Amino acid sequence: MTSLVSAKEVGKRYVTVTGETIEAIRNVSLELHEGEVLAIVGPSGCGKSTLLRLMSGVEAPSEGSIERRQDNGFIVGFIFQDASLMRWRTVYDNIKLPLEVLGKEDNLKKIDELIQMVNLTGFERAYPIELSGGMQRRTAIARALVHEPNVLLMDEPLTGIDEITKEILETELSYIIRKLKVTAVLVTHDIGEAVFLGDRVLVMSARPGTVIYEVKVSLPSPREPAVRAQQQFADCCMAIRDRLNLLHPLRTREASNFDKTEIR
Amino acid sequence: MRVSRHRVFAELKNRASAVSVFIAVVLLWQFVSANNIIPQFLLPPPSSVVAEFFRPGVDWPLHILTTLKEIIVGFFLGTLGGLALAVMVTESAFLRKTLLPYLIGIEALPKIAIAPLIYILLGFNDLARILMVILLVFFPIVLTTLTGLVDLDRNLVYLMKTLGAGEMMILYKVRLPNSMPQLFVGLRLGALGAIIGSVIAEFVSSNAGLGFLIINAQSTFKTSLAFAAFMILGVSSLALYGSIELAAFLAMPWFRKK
Repeated sequence: MTSLVSAKEVGKRYVTVTGETIEAIRNVSLELHEGEVLAIVGPSGCGKSTLLRLMSGVEAPSEGSIERRQDNGFIVGFIFQDASLMRWRTVYDNIKLPLEVLGKEDNLKKIDELIQMVNLTGFERAYPIELSGGMQRRTAIARALVHEPNVLLMDEPLTGIDEITKEILETELSYIIRKLKVTAVLVTHDIGEAVFLGDRVLVMSARPGTVIYEVKVSLPSPREPAVRAQQQFADCCMAIRDRLNLLHPLRTREASNFDKTEIR
Repeated sequence: MRVSRHRVFAELKNRASAVSVFIAVVLLWQFVSANNIIPQFLLPPPSSVVAEFFRPGVDWPLHILTTLKEIIVGFFLGTLGGLALAVMVTESAFLRKTLLPYLIGIEALPKIAIAPLIYILLGFNDLARILMVILLVFFPIVLTTLTGLVDLDRNLVYLMKTLGAGEMMILYKVRLPNSMPQLFVGLRLGALGAIIGSVIAEFVSSNAGLGFLIINAQSTFKTSLAFAAFMILGVSSLALYGSIELAAFLAMPWFRKK
């Protein structure tokens, strides 16, 4: 299987505005295979987003190395946590942005195709402020795919929207990723979302984040909402919860002098 | 561009209430002055003020054009200079560190106090008066635009970088459009500054202009002439401010939908 991204013993340290050095991730090694969806799950602040940014190539690691397959250029599509649309551009023009930057404006048909695929037909001339949270995410998804990237990087793309819209978007995203045969990396702190969308799930520890566990998800793709009721889905989620110490959090607290009288 | 009937009606209603207030104030003013509640040499009635425009001896077109020229040229150059410096400071960390503290320091100074210095440096001429206007336009433009150029969604810059965009493209596609609301705030402040600057400059030294008329009216106790000049200045301010509002309305359809 061809690797699109190969990270070896990667570490990243930041210097904060107060001059403090923060070690975000430590000794992370991973392979991103062509055509797969790799989900990375972990607690808040464990360096998931840092890892994603290192994979994109815009930031360099402090230690270790990251190799990217460069045959036809390594083109990235990025979806951010809060959509991050340009408020001065319409839906159509927001989606068009990557084509303008890459000088591929002869491929405008792709915009209409994606608008249809993400169910935004009729909203092409709307501004982000006129859209619901879900519609803004759909626009961001279309923008990330319009230039046919090698890798789709998603940084908690469905955080902050209501549960109903989120489930609908998870299903749509799964369908779009499979239909377009995109290699993708999803960073999330939502275990269910990671298992629903991922072919493999990497579990990261708290900061400095490192990969502590890997789960292979063998459910059929694209995934239907009913997959959440399957035993394998539940098993994957439980295995991840176990590794993140979420099944017996009180037992852990007990071990660290937790006073039992508090829960009586 | 489609504007709903409801919105047009609401806008007319707003304008109508502003006009009604104006008419009420003028009527009250006429009553107070005509009945000598306040002596006419202190508060001339509106009818005397309007009569000033038809009195021979005052070359109104010359005075109006002199002041308008200072305002428009100063406003244009101040805006252009302010924008250019804001962009340079945004793009250069060195300039940001070295110039920004001075910009903020100079902005805090009462620029009216600089007027005599400008005349000493440049002489008593049009250039000095226009420079005074430029000073009052330049700083609000620099500081407001700079905020818009720098204070943005970092993800957008990141997105552009992942697509291989350089600093110039980021400036053109992200920073400049993002700064437009702040730029228009600066333009509004600059417009008011331009009018104040031209009048102050003419107060200090001039032989024509509306500020010149006001200062002469003061020394000869022609209050109605001063009020007539105020009126022209007021209309000019409204026209300039209105033009900026219209430009903002047309340039930022996304902003008016807020």
